[in-house]
Parts: sequence; C-alpha cells; structure tokens
Amino acid sequence: MANNSDIIIIGGGIIGAATGYYLSRAGCRVRLIEKGYLCSGSTGRCIGGIRQQFTSEGSIKLMLESVGHFSNMKEELGIDVHWHPGGYLFLAHSQEKKEAFLSNISIQQSFGLKDVRWVDAYEAKQVAPGLDAQGLLGGSYCPSDGQAYPFAVVSGYVERIKSYGGSINTFTEVAAILQGGGRVRGVRTAAGAEYQADVVVNAAGPWARDIGQMAGIEVPVEPERHEALITEGVDYLNIPMLVDYRADGGYFQQFRHNGQFIGCYSPVPNVPGHSTDSSYQFLNQMPRRMLKLVPALAPVKVIRQWAGSYENTPDGNPILDRTPLEGFFVAAGMCGHGFMLGPAMGRLAADLILNHGKVPPVAEFALERDYSRQEAMK
Amino acid sequence: MANNNDKIICRCEDITESEVIEAIGKGATTADEVKRLTRAGMGHCQGRTCRRLINQLLASKLGQSPEDQKPVTQRSPLQPVALKILADS
Repeated sequence: MANNSDIIIIGGGIIGAATGYYLSRAGCRVRLIEKGYLCSGSTGRCIGGIRQQFTSEGSIKLMLESVGHFSNMKEELGIDVHWHPGGYLFLAHSQEKKEAFLSNISIQQSFGLKDVRWVDAYEAKQVAPGLDAQGLLGGSYCPSDGQAYPFAVVSGYVERIKSYGGSINTFTEVAAILQGGGRVRGVRTAAGAEYQADVVVNAAGPWARDIGQMAGIEVPVEPERHEALITEGVDYLNIPMLVDYRADGGYFQQFRHNGQFIGCYSPVPNVPGHSTDSSYQFLNQMPRRMLKLVPALAPVKVIRQWAGSYENTPDGNPILDRTPLEGFFVAAGMCGHGFMLGPAMGRLAADLILNHGKVPPVAEFALERDYSRQEAMK
Repeated sequence: MANNNDKIICRCEDITESEVIEAIGKGATTADEVKRLTRAGMGHCQGRTCRRLINQLLASKLGQSPEDQKPVTQRSPLQPVALKILADS
C-alpha cells in the first residue's frame, strides 16, 4: 500500500513542485518522481527572471498571478526565495521593434498589467543606470517584473509537499506509464518498482515528449540548449533585467540578494537537443554583449558557465491539458518561462486535475491546438 | 541556524556545517544537491575548499566512504576572469 498515492507527478522542477504543492494543499497524497536530483533539469539552470510582459492573454494573466505568489512566498512557504521586483526593460533599437513593443504594451495593459510603459532612450538610462543608449530608441519597461532564486522556490514547495505527507523520489527514472481499464494506473520505474495512482502528471520539461510517448500521447516539446554565465557579486547597481532581442543581443540581470550578474542569450541558429555542454564561444560572446549594453561591468569577473534546456513548443506557448488517456495530464513545454510561470501554472494545473471535467483548460495551452500563432516575446 | 560552535564549511558563501547537515536531513545525498540547497561551492572559488569537506560530511551522515561520493560538476572558467578579458579574447 505504501506505493499508492492519489497523484504521481513526473518531474522535480518548478512545474512538478508547484503542482504538487497545490494538490497537497488541497488534500491529495502526492508522489513526486524525479530522475535526477530536484532542480537538476531546466529549473536549476534558468537565470531566475520573472516577467509579465507577454503577448497572449493566458500568459499575461498567469504571470500577474505568479508575481503575486512570488511576492507572498516568504510568508506562504516560510523560506526566503529572494523575490525582488527589480523590473524588466526590453530594448528597442529599431523602429520595427518600437512599434511591436508599443502594440504589446497596449495588449498587456488591456489584460491588467498596468505599470508596463514605453520609455524613451533618456528615461531608459534613468531606470537602467550605466546603460549605453547608443542607437537606442527606447524600451518597454515594467517595474513590477522581477527575480527570485529557483532552488529556494522548489525547495520551499517540496518541503511543503513533504509536510502534507507526500513522498519525493529522487534519482528515480520513470520507464513506463501503467494503464488499465482505459485509464492511467501509475508508473513503473527503470529499476522495476511500480507506483499506483489514479492521476499521473507529465511535468518532465524537456523530456515531456518521451514521457508522453510512454502513454502513447504525442506531446510536441523539443529541447533546445541555452547557455548561461554568472559573475562574482558586486555592489547592486539597480539595473532592471535588460533584454536585447537583436541577433547579437542577450539578457542579463543582477541578483539583489548577492550582487551577482547572471545572463544568457538565444543562439542563432538554435541548438536543438538535450546537450547541456558549455561552449567557449559563449564565454566570449556573452561578455561582449553585456559590455555593449553596460560598459562599466568590464572588470566584473565571471565565475561559472553552464547550459540548460528550453522546452519549446511550436508556438512558444505552454501545454497544460488533460489527454486522451483518462487521468494522464500534461504540464510542460514552458518555452524557457517555466520558472516564472511555475507558481501560477502549478495552481492552474491543480485546479484542472481536481475538477476534472468541470474546469475547462485554457484554450491557448491546449494539447490539441493550432500551433501556428507565435508568442512574440519569446 | 549558525551557533557559536558551528564551523564554516564554504568560506565564499559563508555556509556552516550545521547548514550542510540540515540539507542532508532534507534528503540531499550528493554534493550537487547540497550545493543547490545551501549554495556551498557556488562562490568565488567554486568549491575548491569545501567540496572535500562536504563529501566527508555526506559520507559520515550517510554511512558511506568519502571516495564513494559523486563529485560535483566542474564548470569553467577554472578561475574568475573579468568580462572585459573574456570579451576581448
């Protein structure tokens, strides 16, 4: 009987941990199964940015909710997750980008993100001291966007799951999804152990397609390598997360709690696959891109580089849905936004699972959908 | 958490023995997990001082030998390098 639980969640990152927390809180007995250690997939490799500046109603509203959860997490989870609303500044160096951002701002405001606004180059320098505004037309600035520390968030959720009586299996790889009577019955691990549950949640991030295939469900999620680096801690400069979408741009921010700069960029062309190897090219390119935007960082020392996977869907939107296999759910394909979406996505996933037929899934997160419409602020 | 008899394990991040033991109590069985739960080994020296101490603590708490401990992933650069030097390289 010890192998029975109400719900099995596959994946010990933010999505699995947050979903498990909300389900536990609602009285479910949860078993979280992770093939490595907690946060060993994408969550522990992300740079900890949290923004509400998206272009679809579903993502904007979820992010408004997520920011609420992050800002309340110290009280809710009893752990300092280093939430800091340091803001996000998306930079526009072309007229085309400026018009796109202006259009996005009005969409975002219409869905309730009230403090996002266009700033001209002069004001951009005011909100981002030290920013080199050469060629800059301005930017889309949202001061209530921010940052938090992924390991603390996941640890906080996991400790709560445990305190509600849930179980955590680390270093446990799922090898099969058990089915019977036309529905999901549990999972079998690579070591041959079987765990029973009436609900199984695929929160496997970059491995979501593999887990889906075990149940005969096609989950269109492709991993893509993204590299990152972090510097030593220096005095806090009060610069928001800077996002430069140019082909030779990148994004970076400074952690408020320890002064470290952390950043990454999306390589062109992209690098598909599960590799999390680091490249020397990145270690050369990323500093160039950072110094182009904030030259005063020149003496700050890089202490570490690594890589992780984005878990991309064809349209840049997440997947949160039930599946044709009764009791089998998917919460994956966060497209590089899993950490920031996580708290609200976990809440929404729990609602979807607990209310079964009653709560309709968000149409733009549906497993079966038209994947041709693109999220513009990927 | 820290008390007067506590020992510093990670000097860069100021992490004590009792904090490492607390992480092991939360279920950490590898130095990689201790690192992520406590930040021990995430600082300026990248764990050069603390990694052996952490492996010893893990071994003693889990009843294993220090040689059995899986080493943390080593990441470049081997020593801190200024952004400017990397950008110009």
